[in-house]
Amino acid sequence: MSTQKNETNENHIDMNTNNIIEIQNVTKRFPVGETEFTALSNINLKIEKGEFTGLIGPSGSGKTTLLNLIGALDIPSEGEILISGKNVAVKSDAKSALLRNEHIGFIFQSYNLLPVYSIFENVEFPLLLQKKSKAERKEAVMQALEWVGLSDIANKKPSQISGGQAQRVAIARSIVKKPDIVLADEPTANLDSTNAYKIMDILKKLNEELGITFMFSSHDSKVIEYLRRVITLEDGKVKNDETK
Amino acid sequence: MFEFLFKGLIRDKSRSLLPVIVVSLGVSLSVFFVGYIEGMMGDMVDQNARFGTGHMKVMTREYVKNIAQKPLDLSILDAGDVIDDLKQKYPEVDWVKRFNFGGILDVPDENGQTKTQGIAGGMAFDMTSNNSDLKRLNIADNIVEGRMPKGPFEMLLGQGLAKRMNVKIGDQITYFGSTMDGSMSFQNFTYVGAVQFGLSVMDDKTFLIDIKDAEQILDMEDAVQEIYGYLPNDIYDDQEIEEIKNSYNQSFANDEDEYAPQMLALRDQNGLSTMLDMVNTMSSAFTFFFIIAMSIVLWNTGLLGGLRRYTEFGIRIAIGESKRDIYKSLLLESVIVGAVGSVFGTILGLILTFYLQEVGIDMSDTLGNSNVLFSNVIRAKVVPTQFWIGFFPGVMATFLGALLSGRGIFKRQTSELFNELGV
Ligand SMILES: Nc1ncnc2c1ncn2[C@@H]1O[C@H](COP(=O)(O)OP(=O)(O)O)[C@@H](O)[C@H]1O
Ligand SMILES: [Mg+2]
Repeated sequence: MSTQKNETNENHIDMNTNNIIEIQNVTKRFPVGETEFTALSNINLKIEKGEFTGLIGPSGSGKTTLLNLIGALDIPSEGEILISGKNVAVKSDAKSALLRNEHIGFIFQSYNLLPVYSIFENVEFPLLLQKKSKAERKEAVMQALEWVGLSDIANKKPSQISGGQAQRVAIARSIVKKPDIVLADEPTANLDSTNAYKIMDILKKLNEELGITFMFSSHDSKVIEYLRRVITLEDGKVKNDETK
Repeated sequence: MFEFLFKGLIRDKSRSLLPVIVVSLGVSLSVFFVGYIEGMMGDMVDQNARFGTGHMKVMTREYVKNIAQKPLDLSILDAGDVIDDLKQKYPEVDWVKRFNFGGILDVPDENGQTKTQGIAGGMAFDMTSNNSDLKRLNIADNIVEGRMPKGPFEMLLGQGLAKRMNVKIGDQITYFGSTMDGSMSFQNFTYVGAVQFGLSVMDDKTFLIDIKDAEQILDMEDAVQEIYGYLPNDIYDDQEIEEIKNSYNQSFANDEDEYAPQMLALRDQNGLSTMLDMVNTMSSAFTFFFIIAMSIVLWNTGLLGGLRRYTEFGIRIAIGESKRDIYKSLLLESVIVGAVGSVFGTILGLILTFYLQEVGIDMSDTLGNSNVLFSNVIRAKVVPTQFWIGFFPGVMATFLGALLSGRGIFKRQTSELFNELGV
C-alpha cells in the first residue's frame, strides 16, 4: 500500500519548482561497432515552466537524442535529467511510461497516427491509458480537436486527410491529456509553409492559453521565428543559448 | 483499452485474418489427422476383430501357447459349459464359436477321378440360423456367384480358389482332413457360391462352411477351437476388453489345469498391441511436431507483423504505454487469434472427418475391384478428442509465436524503435 502511495507521489510533478526541466552534465554515447559515438557531451540546461523553446542546429547535432532523453525514452550515459526536480533516468520502464502518460506529449516529424484507427480514436488513445471514463474522453477529444480546428473530421481515417491535417491531429493527441510538457521533434519538416505557420500558430496559442511548456527541435526558420528561446546545438554541445 | 485493441485487431487484416487462416488450416489438419488415424485404426481393429481375433477370444491355455499353429487337438472340450459360464459372467458380450482348420479339397470328374485338387484353409461359423455372426461377417453381401449355404454340407469358396478349382455351382467337392484327435476324415460338400474377400490371401485359400458341419467333420460335437467375444454393437473399447479379460482370467487363477480356458484381448494377438501403441505414439508425435512447426510459421508471420508494427509500438510507448503492457497486449491478441483460428479449424477438420466417415473415398476403382469384404474405402472417424485437440497446436503455436517475436520490443532500445519511426 505504501509503495503505491510513493509511486503516485514520485510521478506527481511539483508545480512550485520553476525549472520544469533541468539537464545536468548530460552526455550520451551510442555504441557504434566496437567503439562509441558521443552524440551529446556535457549538456547543462534549465527550462522554465511555460517556455516556448527550440533546439536548433544541423542534422546530426543531437537534437532528437536530447528530446528522447527528456521524454525518458532513453537514458543518459552520464548526468541527470530532472523533470520538476525528479531524476527520470532512474525510473523503470513502467514508471517512465507513466511519466510520459501523465506529463509529456510528443509530436513527430512524420505524424505517426495509427492507421487503423479513426481521428477520434487516435486522439482518444492517451486517455484510454489514463482509464478516463467514456464521457470524459469524448469531451476531452472533441475539445482537443476543436483547438486544432478539426472537430468536423473526427470520424475519418488518417489515410483520408492531408499532411497538414494529420499533424494537427497529432497535436490534438499530444495535448488531449493536458500535459505539462510537449516535445515536438521537427514538427514542420514535412509541411508547406502555409501549414507550417498554421501549426505554429496553434502551438503558440496552446502555450499561451494552457500554459504548456514547449520544447522544439528544428532547423526550420519558420519555427525559429516563433521561439522565445533558441538553444543552438552543434556536434552534441550547446553552442549558443539566446532568449529573445 | 481491450475494446481499442480489439478494434485494431479486427480492422488490421494482416494481424487478424491472415493468422486466423494459417491457424485454421493448421488446426483443421491436426483435427482431421486424428480422425483419419482413428478411422484407419478403427478399420484395422474391425477387420481383425471380425475375422481373426474377436474383441476377445477364449481358448485353452495349451492352445494359447501354440496359437500360431491353431492346434485343433488343444481345443476346448466342454464348449457348452464354457460358453454358458461366459454368458453368465458377461451377458452383454456376444459369444460365438469359430473354427479355423486346414485340409485338402478335391473336385472329382464324372468318373469319380480327381479333376482338380488343392490345399485350403477352412473357416466355420454359425451360418444357417439368422444370428449375429452372420451379420457381422457379412458374407452374403459379398457373394459374387451362387448363394449362401442353406442346408447341411454346403460350401462357399473364395473367388480365387473357386477359379483355381475350376468348379461350377452344384459341383461336388470332397474335403480330406483329420479330426480333432488325429484320425482321418472326409466329407462331400456341394459347392453353392463364391465369395470375394478383397484380400488375395483369403480369396485364393479360404473355404467357408457352417459350424455344425465343421463340428461333425472334425469330430468336435461339444468342443470348440476358439470362442470369440464381441462388445455390444461391435464397438471396440480397449479398456472394457482389458477389464473383462483380467477378471475372466483371474477367475481361473487357482486352476492348475493346462486346458483351463484363457482369454486373450484383441491387442494380445497378431502383434496388434505394438501396432496400436505405435499409432498412438505416432499420433502424439505428429501433434507435437505440428505445434513446433506451426509456432515457427506463426513466429515468422508474427516477426514480420512485429517489425511492421514497431512504428505502432513506438507511438504507444511515446504516448505512455509501458513495454510490458504492449507485450501483454500482443500475447492477448495472439490468444484471441489462436482461439478463433482453432474454433474455425476444428469445425473444418470435423467436417472433413465427418465427410470421410459418412462418404469415404472409394479406392476400389484404383485398386480394380469393387464389392469386397475388406474395405477399400478410406474412412475417418469422428471422436471426442477432435473437439479439443486442435486448441493445443492452435493456441499454443500462436502464443509461442507471439512470445518469441514480441521479445524484440524489449531487446531494442526504446530510442531505436523511434529511429525506425523516421523521427
Ligand atoms: N541509436 C543510435 N545509435 C547510434 N548512433 C545514433 C543513435 N541515435 C542517434 N545517433 C547518432 O547521434 C547523432 C545525433 O543524432 P540525432 O539526435 O538524431 O540528431 P538530430 O536530431 O540533431 O539530427 C547522429 O550522428 C546519429 O547518427
Ligand atoms: Mg532529429
